[in-house]
Order: sequence, then structure tokens, then C-alpha cells
Amino acid sequence: MMMTARFLRLTGTSGLILLACLAAAAIYVPVANQFIPETSLFHVSTASVVVFGKYLCFAMLALSIDLVWGYCGILSLGHGAFFALGGYAMGMHLMREIGPRGVYGNPILPDFMVFLNWEELPWFWHGFDMFWFAMVMVLLVPGALAFVFGFLAFRSRVTGVYLSIITQAMTFALMLAFFRNEMGFGGNNGLTDFKDVLGFDLQADGTRIGLYLLSVLALALMFLICRGIVLSRLGKVLIAVRDAESRTRFIGYRVEHYKLFVFTVSAMMAGVAGALYVPQIGIINPGEFAPANSIEAVVWVAVGGRGTLVGAVIGGIGVNFGKSYFTGALPEIWLFALGGLFVVVTLFMPKGILGVLSQWRRKTAPAETAASTAPRTDEKAEERA
Amino acid sequence: MARSCFSILQRVTLVLVLATAFLGGPAQAQSDSPAELISRLAGADFRETERIVEALAATGDPAVAPVLEALGEGDLFYRRSDNAVFIARRGGAGYLLTDPLTGADAGEAGRREVTKVRVNNSLRRAVRSAIGTLTLQSPDPGVRMAAAEAVLKSRDPEAIGSLDAAIGREQNERVRTVMERARAAAVLNSDASDADKIAAAQTIAEKSDQEARAILMAASNGASAQLGEALAYAVRQVERDLAMWSAAQNVWYGLSLGSVLLLAAIGLAITFGVMGVINMAHGEMVMIGAYVTYVVQEIIRNHAPFLFDLSLLIALPLAFVTAGAVGMAIERGIIRFLYGRPLETLLATWGLSLILQQVVRSLFGPTNQEVGAPSWMSGAFELGGLTLTYGRVWIIVFALAVFAVLVLVLRHTSFGLQMRAVTQNRRMASSMGIRTNWTDALTFGLGSGIAGVAGVALSQIDNVSPNLGQSYIIDSFLVVVFGGVGNLWGTLVGALSLGVLNKFLEPYAGAVLGKILVLVFIILFIQKRPRGLFALKGRAVE
Amino acid sequence: MKMTKMLRGSALGLAAGLMLSTAVQAQETIKVGILHSLSGTMAISETTLKDAMLMLIEQQNAKGGLLGKKLEPVVVDPASDWPLFAEKARELITGEKVAAVFGCWTSVSRKSVLPVFEELNSILFYPVQYEGEESQRNVFYTGAAPNQQAIPAVDYLAEVEGVERWVLAGTDYVYPRTTNKILETYLLDSGVAAEDIMINYTPFGHSDWQTIVADIKSFGSAGKKTAVVSTINGDANVPFYKELANQGIKAEDIPVVAFSVGEEELAGIDTAPLVGHLAAWNYFMSAPTPENDEFIAAWHKFIGDENRVTNDPMEAHYIGFNMWVKAVEKAGTTDTDAVIDSIIGVSVPNLTGGYSAMMPNHHITKPVLIGEIQDDGQFETVFETPGLVVGDAWSDFLPDSKDLIADWRKPMNCGNFNTATGKCGGKGS
Repeated sequence: MMMTARFLRLTGTSGLILLACLAAAAIYVPVANQFIPETSLFHVSTASVVVFGKYLCFAMLALSIDLVWGYCGILSLGHGAFFALGGYAMGMHLMREIGPRGVYGNPILPDFMVFLNWEELPWFWHGFDMFWFAMVMVLLVPGALAFVFGFLAFRSRVTGVYLSIITQAMTFALMLAFFRNEMGFGGNNGLTDFKDVLGFDLQADGTRIGLYLLSVLALALMFLICRGIVLSRLGKVLIAVRDAESRTRFIGYRVEHYKLFVFTVSAMMAGVAGALYVPQIGIINPGEFAPANSIEAVVWVAVGGRGTLVGAVIGGIGVNFGKSYFTGALPEIWLFALGGLFVVVTLFMPKGILGVLSQWRRKTAPAETAASTAPRTDEKAEERA
Repeated sequence: MARSCFSILQRVTLVLVLATAFLGGPAQAQSDSPAELISRLAGADFRETERIVEALAATGDPAVAPVLEALGEGDLFYRRSDNAVFIARRGGAGYLLTDPLTGADAGEAGRREVTKVRVNNSLRRAVRSAIGTLTLQSPDPGVRMAAAEAVLKSRDPEAIGSLDAAIGREQNERVRTVMERARAAAVLNSDASDADKIAAAQTIAEKSDQEARAILMAASNGASAQLGEALAYAVRQVERDLAMWSAAQNVWYGLSLGSVLLLAAIGLAITFGVMGVINMAHGEMVMIGAYVTYVVQEIIRNHAPFLFDLSLLIALPLAFVTAGAVGMAIERGIIRFLYGRPLETLLATWGLSLILQQVVRSLFGPTNQEVGAPSWMSGAFELGGLTLTYGRVWIIVFALAVFAVLVLVLRHTSFGLQMRAVTQNRRMASSMGIRTNWTDALTFGLGSGIAGVAGVALSQIDNVSPNLGQSYIIDSFLVVVFGGVGNLWGTLVGALSLGVLNKFLEPYAGAVLGKILVLVFIILFIQKRPRGLFALKGRAVE
Repeated sequence: MKMTKMLRGSALGLAAGLMLSTAVQAQETIKVGILHSLSGTMAISETTLKDAMLMLIEQQNAKGGLLGKKLEPVVVDPASDWPLFAEKARELITGEKVAAVFGCWTSVSRKSVLPVFEELNSILFYPVQYEGEESQRNVFYTGAAPNQQAIPAVDYLAEVEGVERWVLAGTDYVYPRTTNKILETYLLDSGVAAEDIMINYTPFGHSDWQTIVADIKSFGSAGKKTAVVSTINGDANVPFYKELANQGIKAEDIPVVAFSVGEEELAGIDTAPLVGHLAAWNYFMSAPTPENDEFIAAWHKFIGDENRVTNDPMEAHYIGFNMWVKAVEKAGTTDTDAVIDSIIGVSVPNLTGGYSAMMPNHHITKPVLIGEIQDDGQFETVFETPGLVVGDAWSDFLPDSKDLIADWRKPMNCGNFNTATGKCGGKGS
């Protein structure tokens, strides 16, 4: 009983619903893909499994942004960079896994290096043939970048819009860097043509479903980690930082330490999301660093509901589903729909979809209060800059 | 270029020109009359055409120059039915024909009835050189200058004779200098004695430019030891001067890049810097301005071509009004509900920017639109060892002018006063009787309008496409943040210094790495000065 | 309340989306997928190709369709987002069950969809000139390989213009890198000194060309005839040419030959100062043939605008589509394997007055045209290869690919056969 109550407290009502949905999706999708005949309305095609897996990765990215933005007031417009770095770490492993099966048949060098007449593997490609090493790098590279970046920025008290803009500059600089062929990351084409991971064929249905399940699991775990952070004493301080940074500092908290911690954790989460994204999508290229991608990810969070975690997941999945659907159904005018959605959400749903839901729920069941952790919508002057 | 006749015909010169031929048979060609030669252009291949050009120049007939010119410009056509050759200009249902030699009207022809006498680069070079030699003694100094420059480029040793004659008569100091240079270049390219060539090398080295380096380097191929040494010395001299000027040239490139950044960012310095709206649709305001320019030019092209040189001036107020109106509509429709929630303005304006891009794409299509340069913005001039292009000069002037006007508006008008009052203390301003709503709308309109005006200028150097705004938005934000939000002077200094920094890094690091280094520099700089170059001080900040 | 409705609406949308991927389509029509970006950075080039495909399908339907069925175009928007290309390709093949897909522009978008076409065994027609070094069973390359564009252009400049000094300027991505690598080897082999070659790369969308144009000018002032071989991509070209014109670099002095600049790109520039600069393609809108006149007239009628231009990738789609139609007719089915077998050797008229044939390496034969820019934004052909040039999947000028060949006919059935080791699968270990 104790355990259940504790778990309930950890997840919250909406969180519990989310986890239930994830569990349902984890069970239903593979079953529907494998056992329900293709002619049935309830069949889920392999194409859809891949797409769902992608949505889940984006939901993780949204979750990591919500952790820093929704709970600590750090609006990062460069989280796509951490996502992409995680993806590149994974991609480099998958690239090494190809071995002699590339078009030129070189056992060590990936195709694009043969193509550019490189003689030997650059130093930073060593070790990526080992899975564990790549996995460590998935966490370490985005984490280290976030740590160094955050250490500098938070120490100098770069806040608000200034911070947003320099995170954007960071991802922009990385994009330009990765576009360079001399960098040794495949330039514009990025890393592609992957064959298998840990011996599993990436094009097999089984691997696809496995990766999908892994994504569901990772998302659920990340959600719990985030909840754990925000409900702890640390989380309370973070919210205090968000709502009144100077006051928190004057009380005696080392604000920059808290910020740095949560920023680094969030970057690592984004890295994991990227690492799961790459084998499912089959390509990673510098386009993922584009500042527009990071801004879009922030928009998902806003659409879902900032500072709620569950909202971030809803936004990450929902907006991307809309994008997939409209680019097929209304190829000529889908940008109107997407752009319009963003405007409507900010104007009429300041707390996002989840805000509307809880408002609606409050009306029907007035006893329950809305999540108290949602940020104040009138932000303090210092954030206004 | 050379429509005028010659003052004096010099048979000798023209016969010499004849030898510019590398293949052709001059003796046979000489006997043909210009009319016969011209008629042979119908259906000739490039090699044949080149021979005819040389023979034409050799006839020495003054009427030949306009024919050659028309050929070089691609205006020479022949009628398919009878192979008669005409100068044809677009007009009527197809082309208006004139007789190439007499200039008499020869009626019209449909598009499919005539075929162009084809030219390629080497033919155009031959034509340019021939016309140059033919017009060295034109009464018009401008034409003589152009002729001398053409010969300078062709370095044709056969032109030495006509150059000597022309230099002897030349009264105009500047034209004579160029002619002497052209003569020196021709001497270096001939089989004159080493002593003559060394003298010529000194003449060439007097003016240190790329052209001089090219001429001297070309001459050193197969030169004797003594001459080679003299040439190498001259090249070193030229290169030393060039290196000195190249630093200045880099500053110029930097200022010009900086002025582009300034133009792109200055509207944002109002909407973002002053009002605090993270205006992601700013780039699209710039784009609207560029499209207004396009529409204005289209209308002028179709209805009043004589106004073309004024098209940008006409577009300026229209772009300001259009982008400003769109901006005010955005402010009234969306932004005003979001004051005090700056980060959410980011989301709404991001959505807006997607919509605006798609609107433009639906209206004008996704492809680039052509925006032409008025004549006063084309070309370049030289200042010492610097090559300054008129387009860039005007953009710098324009950016500074826009900046000055903006500063004046903010400092010295009642609107500027109200605007500052509202941004500093909205409630106090309101109780003093300022209509804060109206001021907000006007301020946002002003920022957007200025972005539109910037679009007019940027249409001159960049693609006019729905993606135009996207390419400037990040740079604009960086400039404003680097300079210090809320400070116009910061934006000015920020833009220009980032431009210069970028251009000094580019030669060493390359274009991509240079830009990355600038970005890293900005990130580190913000750590040092978290509120930008010119931070606002005092209580207003917190 | 309003919001609830909206949510319900989106739930419906979700259901509809699931149905899309599951419902079995009735087979009265043959579906043709069109996978070109209609938004984002590549929309500028790709939208035209979507329209061209719609026109070709409409024309085919007017002729009675294919195998007695009407063709039905399915247009999706991959939005210049490379992973989305793969997703949309999958949707077209498994969801819409298209018989073939015409699409992609950038190399990275093609690389992104390759595994999808391989896995789901469908057909892609790729209409853009590209870097080569690839031959995939499910892809037909109707654009030029480097040997169908770059090398004839360089030969022309060296022979006719007497060029001895070369600037290879490109955008930093795989097509320029490869093309320049091939050209560099080729030039060095033909006796050009290393110091007479300058290679320069710029980022995508580069807009400030002052320094580089000045560098080119200074490189060109070494006393030898200099030319620029430009593989600068798309958007960056307009500011590049504007800067060239402004700094007074005339084609007579330093000609620029471009491989990515066609009629469509020139439509955004005043070309009067650019007259004489060159481009190498396999088609120019100015080609004086009746087929071309007809094509242009149909295009203007379809698009409703007399000022729209045609370009080389459009011709590639024209050729590719007609080849596909002919191969389907020959095979009597749209089945992928049957079409892949029957299309090799199919020969259809191109728009420049000859025939193009599909070769066993999935590349096609094309004439190479070199044209000079005119003041009306058109090209005038100044050189044409006497015969057709066969697209070479693996360049002879790159050390690792010179032994490779591709032949997708029965016994060999390999995209990277190594003639040195006699094995399929690249260089081998």
C-alpha cells in the first residue's frame, strides 16, 4: 500500500494516465503490428511503428526542455543540439557496425571517408565500434557540452532572453561545424545507410518493435526521473529560481549550481532521445542542429502545456502527429495549419492543451485543483529583459 | 560604346587590326566590301564569324563599328527566308529590324522568322578588341577611355601603332594615362627588345592593381634573365602595394557586411530591444519589404520603364507602409494579448512567420523573383587601391541614414518620447494621458516598417524568395543581443564590429570557420558582459 | 467547450491517420508518388518538379492512361526535412501503394530514402544531376553523373577559351566535393600545375561573397587565362552572380561555368551583366526542337503563366516518366521487379532532338550541352557533344571507385562490382 501511494504521489493523476497510455501503447502496437491482419482497421503497419517511435523520441526531447524551461525558467533554444549530439554518437556506432558492408567495402572507414580519400580514422571515431563506449558517449557528450556551457553562462548570470539567444548561437555554430566535410562527420549528408545494431538487422520488423518498446520504456523512465526531480527539495528550489531568481539567491541558495545540475541532466536526456531516434529514422545529419528545430521543440512544450511534464509529452507527440498528417493530407497549405495552431495555442490556451484539459476537469469536478506547479504566466520583470 | 564615327580614318591602323586574326586569310578578306562580309555572317560558325569580324575591322569603314557592337551585344540577326542580316531590337510582335550599315528601318519580323548570329566569349573578346582599336580616336573622351581599356585588356601588340598615334593626339590626361598603360601592356606582349619591355614594366607598375600584376606575370613567361628580374621586381612592388590595400579592403568588406547586419537588425532593435517582444516574424517583415520592391519594379517595368532608376526610391515608402501595416495588424491582433509574457510572443510570432512565408509562397510562388539594380547602384569605382561597388556604398549610406532617422525619431519627437515613456513605465505613462495601446501599436509598426525598408535594400544583394527572412533572423537577434538589448547605439556598434571581425577572420579561417568563430566569440562575450556591449544600467534592468 | 470540440476533431484526425496507413486501396487506378518539398528551403527548386510531374501524368491520362487504367498522382510534402523524406516515402509505398515514386532533389534526401526503397522494394526516379558513386537496384538516376556534365565543360574551357588556371568553387557538401575531386584529378592528369588550381568551399546559403570574389579576381591576375568552375548550390548563386557583376568580372575575362545554375535560378537575376558566363547541362530551354517547343507550350498552358521557364531536371522527369511508362507497357504490369528488369534498354526521345536510353547501371545516356547565359535569362548552346554520353555511376578519376562498375542485369545483378577482384561488394578487404 505504502509503495502504491508513494508511486501515485510520484506520478500524479495525469502522470498515471500517461503511464497507463504508454503501457497500453507498448502492448497494443506490437500486437496489432504482428498479429492483426493487414486488412483490419486495427492493424498497425510497420511504417506506423517507425513513426510512433519517432514521436516518442520527440516527446523525450520535449520532456527534457520542459524540465529546464517549465521548472527552472531556462528557455533553451538550443536543445536540438544535445539531441543531435546524442544522435551522432549513436550514428557513429552504427556507422562502425557497417564494417565491410559499405559500398566501397572498406572494413574500417565509413563510406564518406573513403569517398573523401581519407587514409585513416580520425581520433574521435576510435572506440565507437564498441557499443558500451558509444552509449557512454551518448550521455557524456551532450552532458559535457551542457556542463561547460551552463557553467560559463550561469556563473556569469546570463539569464532570460540573453541565455536563449546564446543557446541558439551554440546550436547554429554546431550546425555550421557539422556541415563542414573536414569535420569528419559526413558533412551535409550526415551518417546514413546503417545496417544493424548489436547484431539485429535494423530493417527487420522485430528490431523496429524492439526499438519502439525501448523508446516507450525510456520515455516512461525519463518521465519518472523528471517527476522525481521536480517533487524533491531540489525541485522546490528550481521552481523558486524560476519564479524569483534574485530572491532565491539572496536567501542563500547557490542558484547557479541548481541550474547547472538540471541543465546537464536535461541535456543528457535529450541525448538519449537522439540516440533512440537515429536507429529508427536511419539518418542523422546537421539539419538536426538547425535553430528552427530547437524552436519547434519549445513550441511542442508550449502547445502541450509548460511546466507539467505530461503536457510536454502530449505536445511532442501531438504536434508531430499533426505535422505528419497535414504534410500528407494538405501538402500545399499545411504550414497555415501548423502556424495557425501555434498562434491559437498561445492566444487562447496559455497553459497548453493540458491546461485546457484540467480547466475542463475542474469545471466538472470542482474539488480537484489544477497542478500547482504550473508556472505563473506573468513572468517576472527580470525575464522580460 | 562606339556608335560615333571617327574623326580621322587611319587606314594603317585598320590594316594592322586585321592581323589580330589567328587563322583567317586577310588578303582575301580585304577585297570584300563590308556589306558582303556582313551578309556572310548568316549561318556562320564561331570560327568563320571570327574571321569575318577581323575582316570587317580591316575594311576601315566607319559604319562597321555599330555592326560589330551589335554583334557583341547579341543584337545581330539574319532573316531565315533570305539570309539578310539586320540589327534587331525587341519590339512590336517580335523584332524591329534596321539595316546594319545604313541604319535604315527594315520593317519587323516575328520571333521565328529571324535567327541570331551566335557569339561566344572568345568572339566577344575579339569584337571588344576590334572596336577598341577602331575607336581610339573617337571625339568622345568616354569612348576613347573605353577603347583604351579594351586594348589594355586585349594586350594586342598589333595595336601599338594606333596607340602611338592616339597618344600623340590625346589631350585628356586620364585617357592618355590609360593609353600609355595599354601601350606598355601591348609592348610586354610583343617581341620588342628587353630595354623597351623593362620600361614598359615600369609604366605598368606605376599603378598597383590586379590588372598590373596579371600583365607583369604574363610577361614573365619565357622572359630573359635580365627582363625576368625587372619583371619580378615590378611584381613585388605591385604586390606590396596590394597587400597594404588589402587590409583596408577587408575593413571595407567588414563595414559593408556590418551594414547589412545593421539593416537586418535595426527593426528588431525596436520590436525586440525596446518592446521586449521576441519577434520571430521579424525576418518576414524584411521579406515583405523585398517583395514590395519586386512588385513596384514589375509595375514600373510594364507601365513606366523610364522610372526604373527611381524604383527603389518609390518602393521605400511603400515597403515601410506595407510592412508597418502588417506589423500593426499583428500587434493589435496577437501581440497585445501577450505583453508581460515575452517568451510566449516567441511562439506566436514563430507561428506567424510560418504563415507569412506560406502566404508569400502561395501568392508569388516559391521561386526567386528578379529584382533589378538601378543604374546608379551597378558597377564599381576605384579609390586608391580599393574597389568599391556602388551597391555596397549605397547600402552603407542607407543603413546609416535609417539609423540616424530612427535615433532622431526616438530622441526628438513627441512620439519617441511617448514610446520611451510607455516602455519605461507603462502605468505612469498611461496616467499622464498617453494612449499606451496606440503607442504600442505604432512602436511595433515602426519596427516592422523599418524591417520592410531594410528589405528594399537587401533585395539588391540577396535572393527575393519566401526564405529571405529566415536567413537573417538569427544574425539579427545575435546583433541586438551582442550590442545590448534596448540600446540602439549598441546595435550599430555591434553590427559593424561583428561584420569587420567576420571579414578579418574569413581570409584565414575560411567562410564557414570564420562564422563559427564569430558565434563562439559572441557566446563567450555574453559570459563576460551578460547584458551585451552597451548594457542598460540602473533599476530599469531588473 | 470549443476546445473540447477541437480535441475531438484531432482525435478523429488521429483515427483517420491510422486508417490511411491501414486501409486497402481499390485498384482502379495506378498511383504515382511525387516526393518533392513544397515548403522549406528546397521548395524553391522542387515545387516546379511537382508541377511538371502533375502535367506529365495529366498528359498520359489524356492519352488513355496506362494499361487501360488512369494514373493518379499522390503528392506529399517532405518539407525539406531529410528524415521526413524517409517517412513520406514509406507512407507512399506502404500506405498509398504507389507503383513508382518520382522525387528528391538533394543528395541527402536521396540517401535518406534509399534504405526505404530497398526494404520495401519500390522504384524511385531521381531527376537531378548528382555526384555519382552510387547505383542502387531500386533507383533510376535520370539526372547527369559527373562525367555527363563536369568533364565536357572543363574540356570546352581548356580548348575553346584556352583556360590554364582553375578556380573550383563550391558549396560544402558532397556533390561539389566529389565533382571537384574528380576535376582536380582530371586537370592534374592533363598537365595543369597544382598551383594553378584553387579550391574553395562555402556554406549553404552563403550570401556575402565580397571576399571570395575578390580572391578569385586576384587568383585570376597571375597572367594566365582563368576560369571558375562553380558547383555553388541553389540560393547562394544569386548573391554570387550579383557580386561578380558588381565587381566587374566579365565573362570575357574570367568565365564562370556552373553545374547547378539553370533557367530557374537565373529567373531571379538580371542577367545582362552575366552574358557569356556558362553552364553545362543536358538540356536548355532554348533547345530548338519540335519536342521541346511542344513541351514548353504544354508547360505554359498547364501552369497558366507564359513567363515560367523549363529546366534540366524537368527534362529528366520527362525522360524518366516516359521510360517508366514504356517499361510498364513492356512488362504488362507495374510490379517492381518486372519493371526493373524491363526498363533496362528502354529508349525514349529526349527534348534536345535525340533518344535517351536506360543503361544497366541505372543511369541514362544524354547529350552534354554547354551554353552561355544570354541577357534574357536563357542559355545559348555553344557546344554540344557529338554523341550521347553514358552516365558513369563510379568515376574513373577516384582511386577507390575506378575499378567499380554497376550492372543490374541478370548474371551480375550488382551495384558495385569490382572488376579487379571480380567480386560484388566494393573494394573488399
